[in-house]
Amino acid sequence: MKLSLRYEQISCRLTVEGLPDVSTGQGGEAVGILTGWSLALAGHTELEGRREHLEALLQVVFPYARHLISGAPRVFGDADSPVAIHPEGPRHRLELRSSQPDTPPLTLHIDDAELADLVRCLDQLRLDPRLQLPLQTPTPQPLRRSELRKRVPLARRLAAPICGVAALGLAGAVSLMMPTPKPGSVAPAQGSRNSAVSPPDQRDASRPPGAAGPGPAPTPVPGETRR
Amino acid sequence: MADVSPALSRPTPLPRRGLERLDLMLLCAEALDLNGGEAMVWMSEQLGFQSLFPNRVELWKRRCHNPLRRTTRRGQLQVEDTDALIRILTSMAERLYPMLRQLLSAAEPEAVSEQRWALFRSRLQELIQERLNLRRVGVRKLLDPIEGPQLCHQLILSLALSAGTGGVERLKASLLDPEA
Repeated sequence: MKLSLRYEQISCRLTVEGLPDVSTGQGGEAVGILTGWSLALAGHTELEGRREHLEALLQVVFPYARHLISGAPRVFGDADSPVAIHPEGPRHRLELRSSQPDTPPLTLHIDDAELADLVRCLDQLRLDPRLQLPLQTPTPQPLRRSELRKRVPLARRLAAPICGVAALGLAGAVSLMMPTPKPGSVAPAQGSRNSAVSPPDQRDASRPPGAAGPGPAPTPVPGETRR
Repeated sequence: MADVSPALSRPTPLPRRGLERLDLMLLCAEALDLNGGEAMVWMSEQLGFQSLFPNRVELWKRRCHNPLRRTTRRGQLQVEDTDALIRILTSMAERLYPMLRQLLSAAEPEAVSEQRWALFRSRLQELIQERLNLRRVGVRKLLDPIEGPQLCHQLILSLALSAGTGGVERLKASLLDPEA
């Protein structure tokens, strides 16, 4: 006998239909074989699908909610995935792609409250002991630093490096505009400095023998005694 | 109760930012529920945390590990304590979910929605001014007329998405985020 499990929130109703898997000894109340599911979001087209579509929905909605809690929303579901969800301003764009060719994807725009309802319905489904299906749901994990850095707007993230590069460029330009000293103006200064300092032997020669002065102390000659 | 995922089952204490956010979210729950302090104690008893928080003073002492508090407590908060606080918060969020949903819904009339947000923000500001250190940058941002409303919206959205038993793992993983 076909069983129907229903999970409801204010704007969302998820219905799962299936049968107990008697080959694994499941009781009459359990659903072990999923035959179909439907999702009705208030004011939107009702969605229907198979088990793989439900799993794809769980695979994108749970991590999306996880990122939203940390304030770092990002797209989940690539171009080949049957379900994708994108942040779009204050709303969220849920895209459902049909497996049949030439069928355009169905796009639903939902607000924060409708998303929270959907997450709660999917939580109820995941935690329902009557649903004995090994549904693949991603494990919540702490985000990486790189993912959290995206919370800060790009302009604010780039402001410091741009200011640094601009300051370096400005300092370089100013240093290039400074006039370089000419070689002729440097030579006399060097000559006058050289003339002010006389070699030690010259100073010794100009000093009268035995005169006291601020020169270096005379080295005593070996064998000579001082009085 | 939900099974804790293997990645989160190892006891990892919450970082500083996680403690701040956890206490701020509890403060939001108090701002939404006028009798929030009492409700928190009652919820703690309902969930079987009498041994951890035998009275409201013990609950308050654990919450005072938030570095943004006016009178903050030093030392590391035990993992059992933070797990219990997370479960109390998600259960309170489930109880307050209709109010959270009303605040987040775009289908509500704009004037009514704005009035609800203004009431919530004014209650939260009163609690912040009473309990948190107003010299902290994080607290000043919450009271800022431009940044404050965005942060309040983020806190309410986080509460709505982590409401109920299913939200425990999501919230815990979020509170364990490293500092950016």
